[in-house]
Parts: sequence; structure tokens; C-alpha cells
Amino acid sequence: MLELLLQNLVNGILMGCVYALVALGLALQFGVMDIINFAHGEFVMIAMYLVFWISLYLAIPGSLTSLIVAPIYFVFGLVIYKLVIDRIVGTYPLAQIAATIGLMVLLRNLALAAWRAQPRGLQYEVLRGSVTLGPVVVPISRLTAALVSVGTMLALRWFLTHTRLGLALRATSDDMQAASLLGINVRRMFALAFGLGCAIIGIAAAFIMTFQQVNPESGLTWGLISWIIVVMAGLGGVSGVLLSGLILGMVEALEITFWDPRASLAVMYSLFILILWVKPRGLFGRR
Amino acid sequence: MRASDLKPIVALTAMLAALPLAVRMNNYYVLLLTWILYYSTLVTAWNVIGGLAGQLDLAAASYIGLGAYTMGTLLTRLDVTPWVGIPLGGLVAAGFAALVGYPTFRFGLKEAWYALATISSVVVLQKLFLVWEEIGGPEERYLPARYGELYYLRFRGYAPYYYILLAVLVMVLLLNVKIRRSKTGYYLLAIRENEEAAEILGIDVRKYKLRALLIYAFVTGCIGGIFALISGYLHPHHFDTWTSLQVAILGIVGGAGVGSIYSLPATTFIIYSISELLRSTLGGWIPGIHLIFYGVILTVVVLLKPEGLSETYERLYGRIRAALLRRRAGGG
Repeated sequence: MLELLLQNLVNGILMGCVYALVALGLALQFGVMDIINFAHGEFVMIAMYLVFWISLYLAIPGSLTSLIVAPIYFVFGLVIYKLVIDRIVGTYPLAQIAATIGLMVLLRNLALAAWRAQPRGLQYEVLRGSVTLGPVVVPISRLTAALVSVGTMLALRWFLTHTRLGLALRATSDDMQAASLLGINVRRMFALAFGLGCAIIGIAAAFIMTFQQVNPESGLTWGLISWIIVVMAGLGGVSGVLLSGLILGMVEALEITFWDPRASLAVMYSLFILILWVKPRGLFGRR
Repeated sequence: MRASDLKPIVALTAMLAALPLAVRMNNYYVLLLTWILYYSTLVTAWNVIGGLAGQLDLAAASYIGLGAYTMGTLLTRLDVTPWVGIPLGGLVAAGFAALVGYPTFRFGLKEAWYALATISSVVVLQKLFLVWEEIGGPEERYLPARYGELYYLRFRGYAPYYYILLAVLVMVLLLNVKIRRSKTGYYLLAIRENEEAAEILGIDVRKYKLRALLIYAFVTGCIGGIFALISGYLHPHHFDTWTSLQVAILGIVGGAGVGSIYSLPATTFIIYSISELLRSTLGGWIPGIHLIFYGVILTVVVLLKPEGLSETYERLYGRIRAALLRRRAGGG
């Protein structure tokens, strides 16, 4: 039992880092432009398909496709921003929810139309095998995914605190009007935040694919997981997102150990509703 | 309620009652019409919370599933007739709505957060029923196949269900008109337009939102029981997030709460028919084409006509009427 718990907790911590990276893109978009993107999970799902196809056609390992998928997704983010988001930023919230739900339904079913319902997994991948640490077996793929996630988060934090562009993004997030008065092009910051958020999804998707399969339905789960983390983190910055991801990963691990793995989503979403009730500003929020 | 409120309902009922005869009871068309009525009743019920109260509720599938499981479990285990099981299912759904809704309104969850909390509730229930082997579990539980007996409300064709749903639709339409004309209706509209202002004017915002939610959940739970009778089995996938989304999409596109209530069944009729046409003609090559259509229409309508289509129908109706009057005047 203890060994099982230990094993599950290690898995939970590794998954938690990945969850945090997936949510980071959403947190960035939400933080900067206060936009409520219901299609986030579908973005993740489409990115996972991109990883699958690029890996298949170029015959390169899935983890390497992150170098291709991230820039593609940055552009994809800009296009979606121009087509949809730009028109609904700052309008009334129901329009934002409805438009992004439309996007979510559209993307999910386009994926279904294009790639049918069967799950797809990478054909081959260099990140194989596992390391054994005492009683715990750590798969290399998950370990790499977690390390890359933390690395990407540190890089984003450095970008937000040490570059002019990053500072401008944070200024826009703190006070849009003041930032605008100081000569920051707010719309360009929005586009940048949306593109960056999507590029992060691209990186995350490549490494998730090294140990998971994708099907057109998987978007909902990724979307809701990201929302849980964003709500938990509040507007608490990158470290808040990472901590929330870790908490969620460990909650999942405990649930799997002590109850039924099939119910793990039920526990996670109940936790989500509970946090919405009692801590709507998040556990690590500064506002 | 005024006589002028009743006239369109009577006209609509007469028209809908004749429709299965117009397609000569063809099984395929009656089934199609049954699903159209099913979604029409759901969307019309959703109007109470989504239109009048302005809360983007995505928990419809929670209430449908609870209503289905309550009715079905009572029927299969204790031989309780659906005549009792269906309203009990509505009560269970309303109870669950109160359980989730009270704290949700108490803690002031609004807009996206309300939508997220409600869609999460669907997933929570789906997984719980999957694990709860005594009542749910991963296998389908079939309802007794005692067709043609009024006690069991099970029929081989779809026409009887069509007329049951038509009766429900009429009741839900009347309910909507009644609420709209009542004090509750005006309070809900005030809450939708500006919650803070409504609060300052002395409206107990939480109480009225909760009231709207309970009415909607009860009706949806009852429809869930009927849904289980039509599908003939119980399964955790009756807690289907897509149903929730579909109901909200039809409501938003139909302009719930903005214009006439009849815009909602009309929108359901049009969109469901087009999507079914797409599915039956192109669905073989492009699976999910009918669902892509939902995504496209929602996004386009929200970007171009965020208030929904109800006004468009009214303008169209006015134009057709004017043309008819002109022709009559010219002819006579």
C-alpha cells in the first residue's frame, strides 16, 4: 500500500507539472486580457494531433516536434485572436463564453471529421524506458515532460520579469488603461499573450503525446483541468500555477490510491466547484 | 394570463399535432420530430434560467440524467409507474440543483464561473454514476419491455412519445408565459439586465435566481425521465456534456429572453432539421458534420448578431404578413 501510494504520488507530481504547463497558456491569456476561453482544451487536443501527424510524416520523435508545433501554434493563436477573440474582448461576458463555446464545438468536431474517433498514439518515441528509484519506477517520458514543463515555466517567468515586452505584458494585465496611456499598444499585447499562450500549449502537447494518446473527446478534460488550475492559482503568477498543478496532481494520485481511478475526474471537478465557492479569487491570488 | 397569450400556443399545438400525420407517420420523420420536440422542451425550459434570469447554465444533462435514473430505477426495481417516477425525477433534479445552486448563488458565482461550475457538475455525476455499481455502473440497464401498457409508458413506435413531449412543450410554454408576466418574471429580467442595480432596488437576487433554477431543474428532470423511456435504457452517458452545450447553443442562437418565446422552438426546428439533413447526406463521408454546423452557427451568430435570431424571425414574420395583407387588399 505504502509503495503504491509512493508510486502514485511521484506520478501525481510529474503529472502536476504537466497540468500546470497546459494551464499556463490559459492563465496568461486570462490574466492579460480577462478573456474566458472555453476552447482551451480543444486547442490542446488539436496540438496533440499536430504532434502526431508531424511526427509520423517527418519521422521524428514526438518530443522533438515541440520545436515545430510551438511556432505553428503561435501563429495559430494570432489567427484565432484576429478572427474571434479580438471582436469579443471587453464585450459582455456571455458573448465571450458563447463565442468560445462555439469555437470549442467547432474544433472538436472538425477533429472528429478529419481524424475519426479512434485514439492516436505516437508510432515511436526516443523517450522510452524508466528509471527505478528504490520502490518507485519513474518513466523517462513523464520525467522529461515534467522537467520541460518546469523549464518552460521558469523561462516564461524570466521573460515576464526581465524583458521590456514581458514587463509591458504585465503592465497591461495590471491596468489596461494606464498601460495604454503609457504608450503600450494594448491590442498588440493581447495578440502577443494569446499567441504565447498557444505556443506554450504546443510545447506541452508534444511532451504529453510521449506518454498519452489523443482522441477528439480529450479536449474537454484538458480544458477543465486547466480551468481548475487557473481558478486555484487566481492571478498568482507563474509559481501559483505550478503549485496549483502540483496540488491537483497529488489530489488525483491520492484519489487513485484510495478510491476508484474512474472517479478521479469526479473528485477533481468537485474540488473545482468547492474552490469556486469558497475561494473564487484562488489560493495564491494577489487581487 | 391573457387570451392573446394563449392564441399562439393553441395555433402552434394544432400545427405540431398535425405534423406526424402530414409525414404519414413515417417512422424516420416521426423520430426526427420527436427529437426536435425533445430539444424544444429542453430549450424552452432553459429559457427560465438562461433567458429570463440570464445565467448561462450548462447543467441540463445533470438534471436529465438524474431524472432518467430516478424514473428508471424506480421502474425496474420497485415497479413504480413512470407517471409517478417522472415527477419524482424532477424533484430529485431540483434537489440536486438546490444543493449546487444555493452555495453557487450564495458565493456570487456569475458568468463564466457559473457556466464552468455547472458543466463540471455534469462530469462529476457521470463519473459518480459510473462508479456507483448498485444504481449505475458501466453497463446499460434496460427498462422493462412491456410495450403498449399505459402503466409502463413504453411504446414500440415514436408517435406516442411525440405527443407526450408535445403536451410537455405546451406546459413549459405556458409556464414561461406565466412567469414572464408575473412579479418573478420582472424581477428576473431586472437581475439579468443589472444584478447590482436589482439588488439595490431591494430584489432578493439570490432567492429569485434560485427559484428560476429550481423551476428549470424540475422541468428538465421530468424531461429526463421521458428521455429514458424513449431511449429504453439507463447509462452514465446520459449525463452528456454535449446535451448541455446543445441546449445552451440553441438558447443563445434563438435569443432566449430577448424576444418571443416561440423563437426557441422555431430555432430548434430549423437548426436540428438542417443538422440532421447534413448528417444524413454528408455524415457518411464527414462524421460530425452536423456538429460542426452547431459550432459554426453559434460562433457566427454571436459575432454578428449577439442578441440571437428572435428579432430576425419577427421581422421576417412581419414582412410575410405585410405581403399577405397587401395581396389580399390588391385582390379584393
